[in-house]
Amino acid sequence: MPRRSAGAALAVPAWAWLAVFFVAPVAMVVWFSFGYKPGIFGTHANDILSLDRYIEALSPTFFATFLNTLWVGVVGTVLCFLIGAPVAYWMAFKVRPQRRGLLIALVLIPFWTNFLVRTIGWQVIIAPEGWLSTALQSAGILNGPLDLLYTRAAVLLGVTYNYLPLMILPLFVAFDRVGPALREASKDLGAGKVTTFFRVTLPLSRPGVIAGVLLVFIPLMGDYITATVLGGAKGNMVGQLVASQFQTAQNWALGSAMAVVLMLVIALSIGVAALLLWLVALPFRSRTRLVLGPAAGGPSTGSGTGAATEVSA
Amino acid sequence: MSVTTKTEAILRRQDGTMIGSDRRRYRSWTDIALNVWGVLVILFLFAPIIVIVIYSFNNGRLLVSFDSFGFDAFRTILEKPAVQNAVRVSLITALISAIIATTLGTLAGIAMARYPGKWVWWFLGLLLLVSVTPEIVDAVALLPWFVWLGQDLGIGMFNDGYVRLSIGSSLFATAVVSYIVRARLVGQDANLEEASADLYARPVTTFRRVTLALAMPAVLAGFLLAFTLSLDNTIVAAFVQVSGTTPWPVYVLSAVRSGLRPEIAAVSTIMLLLTLVALAVVAVVLRRAGDSATDIARTMAGG
Repeated sequence: MPRRSAGAALAVPAWAWLAVFFVAPVAMVVWFSFGYKPGIFGTHANDILSLDRYIEALSPTFFATFLNTLWVGVVGTVLCFLIGAPVAYWMAFKVRPQRRGLLIALVLIPFWTNFLVRTIGWQVIIAPEGWLSTALQSAGILNGPLDLLYTRAAVLLGVTYNYLPLMILPLFVAFDRVGPALREASKDLGAGKVTTFFRVTLPLSRPGVIAGVLLVFIPLMGDYITATVLGGAKGNMVGQLVASQFQTAQNWALGSAMAVVLMLVIALSIGVAALLLWLVALPFRSRTRLVLGPAAGGPSTGSGTGAATEVSA
Repeated sequence: MSVTTKTEAILRRQDGTMIGSDRRRYRSWTDIALNVWGVLVILFLFAPIIVIVIYSFNNGRLLVSFDSFGFDAFRTILEKPAVQNAVRVSLITALISAIIATTLGTLAGIAMARYPGKWVWWFLGLLLLVSVTPEIVDAVALLPWFVWLGQDLGIGMFNDGYVRLSIGSSLFATAVVSYIVRARLVGQDANLEEASADLYARPVTTFRRVTLALAMPAVLAGFLLAFTLSLDNTIVAAFVQVSGTTPWPVYVLSAVRSGLRPEIAAVSTIMLLLTLVALAVVAVVLRRAGDSATDIARTMAGG
């Protein structure tokens, strides 16, 4: 067997590849963001460094788009959780184990279908001249054509749809790991369904909830395709703003500053959310803590009594 | 005790999910609601895909307005070199990028699982960073980087569309393959490698015949996932592409602006079939390797 240092060298190609084609380019963008656009034909210059591009990126016109993106990001993530959690719960606890593989496949197929094509599918569905609009009009629900495409609501629908599998899968894995034993114990001790879910299942699947929320929120904030296909001018998001600075306006300095601000906004909102969650959970911490022994089946005496006391409390 | 077990066994047979002891109470309104909700959400997930498949048989001129049923769209693919070229570029770059990602990711995954140390946390941190960075940021970062490498430094290959596209889609895929291979090997015993060394196999032989063999299902799954991911790559591709080598998703994206035509749905339907075959192969490979449904879900979601 090779020595440890020699073995770790196996990762060197991947290190190098990611350093050259990920770390360096992103660092270059950060560097550009301190520069400026020298003239009509230049894209960037860095001979004078300043924070002016950041001030420009946060000027009222662009700031509105940042706020809009944050709104879509938060509401979209919450919707994904509210829609996806019952599905994950259903798959983990209510479906026959033999059928689980099929259901996972059914969730995965949309996930692995081309993102752009799925979004175009929604454009076809909600187009004012599409069949949904016609059906709603002939049913008498709508008086005029469906006015959904190219609005913020359409973007919200699109992102909720597009990122839903990323919420369902980690939640399913987490629920599945909780297993029936503790839930049965909770019910045997007199807890109802709702209590069991909120006091046992949900706290134990916290890693899955966190993974799901992050997997949805982060790509959603940087979304470019959904907003382009469904949003039009009304449903503008930061991704499009960044793209247009690079492609249309040819102002790489400003575009870079916006990209950096986008990443900071994402990091900051995750931090704020974590803090809020921690603060909300604080008063419940001592009461809902469930200490498990070395193995879930056979807890040691100390923690066993602890758990028993806590459940009965 | 044994009576209870027997009852449970009977209940388990009748109703696979078996929790609790009273079957009638088990079919409560919440369970019915969950069943209905689950089915509805899965229909929701498939709605646009079904629509695209149906509209690929649209004989009309525009995608959105369904004219009449027919195979005109599929025939148009054969007549349009631009469409064929775009699909070819996508397939070639996806293949190259999947090969790069699988090679780098497999080596890194093995190193992380078998030679752990402090460096693993740094490396996992980097992989995490790669996977959480919004694609649009990757895209706007790679564009000036390729321009700088190709024009300012004069390294000609970075002006080539195929090179740029393959590199662009290999980054995230490398991270995914690394996660999968590491996850697989961490769960496997390292004793086999030690046994192999004890039996005087050279390190290279041990690596090839034992470690790599153990990792193989994950490597195959990773390769197919990397291929599918790269085939889907739209945002990075839209930025780094060079005219003449436009990949399929970028072709579609430009059609969104200029007007969608039914042949886009037709190609998408064919691609969907390809993706289904790839997914089925991954599932079969993982099932053969003894993964449970949950393990497969975890692998497919990218670790």
